[in-house]
Order: sequence, then C-alpha cells, then structure tokens
Amino acid sequence: MHFMLALKLLWRDWRAGELTLLLASLVIAVGTVTTITLFVDRLQKALLQESATFLGADRVISSSSPIDTAWQVKASSLGLRQAQTLGFLSMVFSDDRAQFSSVKAVDENYPLRGQLIISEAPFVRGRPITHGPKSGEVWMESRLFPSLDVTTGDVLDIGVAGFPLTQVLVKEPDRGGGFESAAGPRVMMNLADVPVTEVVQPGSRLTYRYLFAGDEQALQDFERWIRPKLKVGDRWLGVRQGAQGIGNALDRAESFLLLGGLLGVVLAGVAIALAAQRYSLRHYDHVAILKTLGATPNGVDSIFVTILLVLGLVGTLLGSALGFVTQMGVVNILDSVIPIELPGPGFRGIWLGLITGFICLLSFALPPLLKLRATEPVRVIRRDIDTASVSDRLTYSFAIIGTLGLMYWYSGDYKLTLLIFSGAVVATIVLSIVAYLMLRSGRILGMQAGSSWRLALAGMQRRGRENTLQILVFGLAIMLLLILYLVRTALITEWQAQIPKDAPNHFALNISPQDVEPIEQLFKEKKIKAQPLFSMIRGRVSKVNGESARERKISSWRQRQSEGGKGGGGPGIDSSRNLTWATKLPSQNDVIEGSWWEENYSGPTLVSVEESFAQRGDINIGDELVFTIQGQTLTALVSSIRSVAWDNMQPNFYIIFSPGGLADFPATFMTSFFLDKTNKLFLNQLLRQYPTMTVIEVDAVIEQIQSIIENVTLAIELVLVLILVSGALVLLASIQASMDERFREHAILRTLGAGQRLVLGSLFIEFCVLGVFAGLLATFGAEITVYALETQIFDLKYELNPVLWVIGPLTGMVLIGVVGVAATFKVVKTAPSTVLRESI
Amino acid sequence: MEYMLKTVGLDKTVTTSEGQLTILKGIELEIKESESVAIAGASGSGKTTLLSLLAGLDVPSQGQVFLGPYELTAMNEEQRAKVRGELVGFVFQTFQLLASLTALENVMLPAELKGDARAEQQARDLLERVGLSHRSHHYPNQLSGGEQQRVAIARAFGSSAKVLFADEPTGNLDTATGLHIIDLMFSLNQEFGTTLVLVTHDQRLADRCNRAINIESGELVQGVD
Repeated sequence: MHFMLALKLLWRDWRAGELTLLLASLVIAVGTVTTITLFVDRLQKALLQESATFLGADRVISSSSPIDTAWQVKASSLGLRQAQTLGFLSMVFSDDRAQFSSVKAVDENYPLRGQLIISEAPFVRGRPITHGPKSGEVWMESRLFPSLDVTTGDVLDIGVAGFPLTQVLVKEPDRGGGFESAAGPRVMMNLADVPVTEVVQPGSRLTYRYLFAGDEQALQDFERWIRPKLKVGDRWLGVRQGAQGIGNALDRAESFLLLGGLLGVVLAGVAIALAAQRYSLRHYDHVAILKTLGATPNGVDSIFVTILLVLGLVGTLLGSALGFVTQMGVVNILDSVIPIELPGPGFRGIWLGLITGFICLLSFALPPLLKLRATEPVRVIRRDIDTASVSDRLTYSFAIIGTLGLMYWYSGDYKLTLLIFSGAVVATIVLSIVAYLMLRSGRILGMQAGSSWRLALAGMQRRGRENTLQILVFGLAIMLLLILYLVRTALITEWQAQIPKDAPNHFALNISPQDVEPIEQLFKEKKIKAQPLFSMIRGRVSKVNGESARERKISSWRQRQSEGGKGGGGPGIDSSRNLTWATKLPSQNDVIEGSWWEENYSGPTLVSVEESFAQRGDINIGDELVFTIQGQTLTALVSSIRSVAWDNMQPNFYIIFSPGGLADFPATFMTSFFLDKTNKLFLNQLLRQYPTMTVIEVDAVIEQIQSIIENVTLAIELVLVLILVSGALVLLASIQASMDERFREHAILRTLGAGQRLVLGSLFIEFCVLGVFAGLLATFGAEITVYALETQIFDLKYELNPVLWVIGPLTGMVLIGVVGVAATFKVVKTAPSTVLRESI
Repeated sequence: MEYMLKTVGLDKTVTTSEGQLTILKGIELEIKESESVAIAGASGSGKTTLLSLLAGLDVPSQGQVFLGPYELTAMNEEQRAKVRGELVGFVFQTFQLLASLTALENVMLPAELKGDARAEQQARDLLERVGLSHRSHHYPNQLSGGEQQRVAIARAFGSSAKVLFADEPTGNLDTATGLHIIDLMFSLNQEFGTTLVLVTHDQRLADRCNRAINIESGELVQGVD
C-alpha cells in the first residue's frame, strides 16, 4: 500500500545514517555464517578425503575369508568403485638371506583413495603413484633392502616364484598406525601373481580387504545392506575407525567449528536486536506524526515491514557476497599452508547464510518494529506517553524461539544447542541479579557533577535499567568470546600434547637382549632421542575364567550385534599380540578400574588390560586369564583396566604384566626414537649392523596427522577471528543504543558549565566500570559453560582457569572502556547547541 | 449539518502514581463550520488535552466527540486515523517535521499517505504559497524556526483538511516571526475555508479568532466572541 513511501523513508533513513548499524549487523551476521559454513564445508570434505587415504578407500571390509561375490555385485549396483587386497605373512628370500615379511597383494584398482610413494633407492624421498606393482614385479619397504642385502633390480623369491624388485615402497596409504606393521616389513605384489607363489594354501592365515569408494549416500546404503550379513571376525571400517590418530581430532574440530558458527549466529542476533531496537525507538515520534497525518496502524506496519524486507534482501545478498569473497580470500592466504586440495564451495553455505539472515531479521528486528504500530498519535503533543504497549513478552518469545531454532538448525546437535543456551540463560539471570543488587545500594542524590567519578557513578545508578541491559549484553558477548577462546586453547593444548613436534617417529623391535646396550650406546653417540627399551614377547590369551577365549570372543560379539552395537573395531581377544611387563604405568595410560601394582611388586602374576580389549572379551577385575606364550601357558589375574590414548602413535600395549611376570620367557626388546628427515640414512647403518632388528617408520603418518591437526587449528582460529568481529559489533550496537540519552544529558551539562574533560572522564569511568562488572560475570558464565562443553561434547579434561578471573574483568574494562569512549567521543565534540536543537 | 465539531459530556481522567487525576470534566462544546476558535487557559488547565480529544489523537474516559459526520468515540484507531487523513490538519508548537525528509517531501506526506498522484505538484504550490519554494530541498535542520513552522503550515493545508488544529503554533517563535505565522495561517484559513481550532497563550492570536473559550481546572468557562 505505501510501498513507494516506504522506499523513500528507507532511502532517507539510510542517508541519515539511521540504518548503518542495522545493515552492518545483518551483513556481518550473514557474512560470518556464510564464511564459516563455506570454509568448514570445504575443509571437512578435504579432511575426509585426506582421512580416507588412511584406509585407501572410503570404506573397507576386512575378513579372514573371501566375501560373497553378491556383496561386490551389490556395491557395483550402487555405483561404488571397488578394489581388493590380500595380506599374508611369508618368508622372502634374496640370494643369501631370508626375512619374515608381511606380503600385500593388490589389484589394479588399488588404492581407491590416496597414493603410494615409491623410490629408486631405500630411505630417500619418493614420488607419488596411483597404482600398485604390475604383474611380474614386486616392491619392498626400505628396511628390507639392507636386511636382505639387495638393491633394486635384484630378484626376490616369494614361495616358489621369483620377482624382480623394481621399486622401493616408501609409503602405502593404508599401512595403518605403525604398530600393527610390527608383524613384518612390507612386500607388495600384484594380486594376479599370488597363485604362482603357491604360498597360499588351505589353512593359511589370510587377510582379505575389500575396498569401496564413492558417493556418501551410496556408501551409507551399502553399509545398511551389508551389516546384517557380516560374519564373526569380519570388520567394517569407515574413515574414523581406520584413521588412527585423527578420528578423534576430526570429531572435536567439527564440534568446535559448529560451536563457533553457533556463537557467531547468537552474537549477530543480539547485534541485530539492539540495532533494530534503537531504530525503532528513534522512530516513535515519526510514527506519531505519520498517524496525525492519517497513517493507520496497518499502514505503519506495511511501511516498516517493507523497509525490513528490502533491508533484509540487501543485507543478506551483501552478506553472502562478503562471506563468499572472505572465504575465497582465506583459502588463498592459507593455500601455501594447507597441503590438501580444497574442493569447490558448495551452495549449502550460501543458502544457510541467506536463510539465517532472514530468520535473524524476523526474530530480532521485526518485534521492535512491530511495536511502532501501537504508537499513540497523541505522543506528538504529550511526550510523556509510554511507548511499549506491544508486549515485551512477545518480543522476547520471538527472539528466544528464533535463537534456539537457528542454533539447532545450524548445529544439528540438540545437546550442544541446549548447553550453550542454558549457559546464556544462567548468565543472564545471574547478571541481572548482580546488576540489580549493585543498583540497590543507595540512590545517590543529584547528578554529582563535581567530579568525573561521582558523575559516572551517579549516572550509572540513574540509568539503572539501561545499565543492567548493557552489563547483560557486554557480559554475554564477552562470555561467548571467552568460551570460544577457552575451548580452542584446551583443544590445541591437548592435540599438541598428543603428538609433540619431536615425538618419536620410528619404532625398533625384535632387539635381542645382548644388543640392548650397544644399541643404546649407538643412539647416544648419534645423539638420537630414544625412549627406554621395553621388553616384548608374542603371545595370546587362550582362556578367560576357564572358558576358551575364542568362544568368549564369539559370544561377546553376538551380544553386541543383538544390541545393535557398532562394535567390533579392534582385533579379537584370542589373536596373537605383543605382551610386555612394566613397573610404572606408561604415559598416556590411565587406570579406570582396579589399581596398578607397586614398583617393587613381586607377588603372583598380575595383568593390566586395556579397556576396549576388556570390553570385547567381557573381562573384569579379578578374572583369570591363561596365556599361551611360545608353546607354554601362563596364568595371571586381572588387577586393573586401563584407558590408552591410542592416538599418540607411541608403543601401546593391550596387556601389560606385573614385574617378573614374563621372566621365564625369552624376550626381545623394543623402543621408539625420533629421527629427523635429514637423518634417515642412519637406518641403513642400524639395520646392517643389527639385521634381526625390525624398524617401523611412522614419521610419514605422524607428519600427516600433525598437518591435519594444524589445518584444523587454523580453521578454528579463523572462526575465532570472525566471532571477535561479531562480538565487537554487538558491543558497538549496545553502546550506540545508549548514545542519544548521553548526548542530551551531557549537552545540557556542558551548557551549564561542565568542561570536556569532566564529561569525557565520566564517560571513560562509566564504561570501564561497566566493563569490569561485565567481565567478571562473563568469566563466571564462561567457566560454567566451558565445564559442560568440555566434559559433555569435547571429551576433554576440565581444568579451572584462575588466570581468567583476572583477564576476564581486565579485558572487559579495557575493551569496553576503549570502544565505549571511542564510540561516544562525539558527545564531547559536538556543539551542545546542535544536540539541543536536534532534540526539540 | 450545523457544526463541524461537537462534544457531549466529555471527561478525561488519567491514573498517576498519586492516584486518579481529572484533566477534563463535563465538556460540552459545539464549533461551526469555518469558525475559528481559540482555546485559552492557564498552564495545566487541560486545553491541550481537549485539543487532542477533538482531533481524535486521544480517547476520552467518558463522553462523545463528533468530527464532521463521524463519531470519533465510536471508532477504533484504524478508523480514526482514516478520518484524520481525510478531514484534519495539524500545526504544532514544536513543528514536528520529519528530520529525514526535505521541506517538499514533508509537505507531500499527507497526500502521499492518501495515495494522491498529484502530491508533489500540490506540495510545490503550497510551498510557493508560504514563500519557501526556494528551500524545498532543504532539511528541517537547515531551516530556522519560522521557516519550519511555515513548512508545517503548508503540510497542514496539503491534506485538504476541513479542520485545522493548532497547538501553540507561535510558542517557539519570536514576536516578529510569530506575527508572520499568524498572518499566514489566517489568510490560508480564509482561502481554504477551514474550521480552525487553536490552543494559545498568545492574545494576538486569540483576538484574531471568531471566538475564544476558556478552560479552568478542566472545566469550560463561557467564552467571548
């Protein structure tokens, strides 16, 4: 009805600067959401792709026997690409030496994800290649070359067949987390060549791996179809199960990035609400005039809804463009640092930004504007008429529903949404109570214009309601920023602790007892940082409380299947594994049940069992385990169950014996050490000198994990910066909201003789005091919320942050003091006459 | 119809922190078409409240108000707004121009709200009439008090109003400017044949009207023709 009038008013308001903050808040809100979503989407896709290289595929079925061909037909029908590998242990022979090795035969489609790295000589940098060895040739890991005393071009015998060694296998994508490869160094051959070796016989222990890659929906359909068909011992592996070390990091990173996006949305919503509130307040008089001229309440609605819609359209389009450009800019800047190729941006981010913008407008900006329709026209004559007759309850309801809806829609995680929302509500209640108490402490009489301090404090008390709101808004903004900062720091500290820069990146196994001292001496001479040597014996659990371990494994597996569990990750309890003994609890192991033995313990043999192992075998404290070790049996009682940080790429053991428990068995020793890239050729010397030793290189894997973690950290820091910008905008909006009254008050003061210094001083003090209170309360709210987030969502250990209780209020004081004075500097610079004239 | 404005048993009471406050009591009033009436009285006597009730800006606690053929007291705000747009023009002590619109745009407003296609031309003519055509693109903060009031007067007549309500129109102006404004208002009034109701302390203004009525403590005291 009044479309052209609305456009004219919009244009005039824009030119007068009335809409700048509202539009800016909207643009930033949409821009933040769009940037984060676009970037996170791209990074997540890239990380998932990168992580899939740990499996060599998107999904893998691992089995000890061939699978039903119908499964492969089904996979094909869903459009999935497939590959196959076969793993077995075998002796391999050169002219005059033999080595026990882990042979992997691959087909021509392998790998489906990632690349192999090969080289012409051992222990040198290689080049990538996207397929395995062709029929008639074999590749071999670097460490086997000195052990077998061969070079490329020589012939390697596997079973009854001989194959030329054409390349050194530097890296294969799905080698696994290092310690599994302790079974033997790698020889890779073509799957078609396996029959001629005659190594595979009935009864051979084989690992069949069927690799699948393709569209996520197709993979999920396939998984649903195949799970009921899996047999005992079959394992279904996805990226997270297969990607040792990064699965956890990925989960946490995603949660954090979602959290950041959520907070960005909340902050933006607050900024929009404040800006809209101010715009509305400044238009009550205008609406009263329009009503005297014949504008009806419906007419007023149509004018301001039109203004809002046009503003919304412009703001969301600008915000989306800003988000897109910012995200591209960030990707360009980080291009040299992110080693992975980022897939192109999807539309999801743009849509999300646009819809978020409109929901923000409807929830936060519309209610204050709808109040305008109820402006009483008599306000033109009587300024004392109260304005807020449209229920505030309605306004808050809109805002709360809008906030909750956006948060849940954005995160898809009701737990995270509720946690943040509850934290904010608790903080709001506490802030309000404290602010109220502060104001109750005696009303100071008069303006107290004798000094800046008294002027400031008297002003704060007089503007009680507005100041409570300001403390609330400041406190909330600072609290949200603190939450993000605390969680980010906790995540990064935890990751860095998991895999520090100089973490051991090589394992040395099968060290004979007589070689222990010379090897320790060699490491010392070469200044190589090595861990203390652990003894190691191969053995397996044969009985649990008298029941066969295999039977126990099967019944436990069946129970988990019937409970719909996705369990089954991890080797069976009856498999052969590395056993060791220890006096002290190893680092990054925590006893969760039972207790660890004394250092000088010498009683009956005890064992400490890892928690997932205990779960798979239904093993509890006090259970009796019988081990078969080198043909003999050994009985031990379970005295503790441990959690182990498997992500730390260190030698970890499912079973640890008490001191002396394995004394009757000849053991070999193992250690881990850090070797720099430039020092790799040392391995040649080590293996020639000690040919029975096995060395496992995990440096490439660790490097990959570290790089992924660094990328994720970068993404998190980016989110923090974006949220800071949102937070600053909220502060600005909140300060702007109180500008008008300050202008008038201080203009009158100055006409009555107050100097600029007095007025500026009082402004500074007022904002600083507000900032201290807000900072204190924000710290309180942040500690509570972070406790809930860290324990419930991020699975981190919560620690109180005493330093924060100093930093929080200090930050509040400095931030709000500076921003506040900068924003209100106009108050002292504008001539009082101008202010007074414009307020008539 | 003999009267343009009529009130019957008009009361206005408000609730304050000290209890009920009676602003107007038993006001019975009739104003004829094209008549000019001054409402006078001491500060706080209730004259501005009476003006706002007559103009449909506010609703009484009791009684009836008739404006032209309409009974304002039987209408809701939506309907009253339409009547204001159709019949009423206003001039305020504090001018009440929209700061973000130019002089021309302010004068155009009433016609624009009615969807009148001739709004701009009409507004230009009116600004010419009040001697401000050369300031049509200036904003209120670029005009003096007297100039702003002239724009407000032009706007008041721009709605083709039958009744012009003025609340202390010279209250913020110096004597000389005030005189000009008075002359302008009355000459336009005669030209357009509007009924004029104004609240004023200014004796010169009251003298120019056909009739003056006095309010004392919320009650009507018989006026002087």
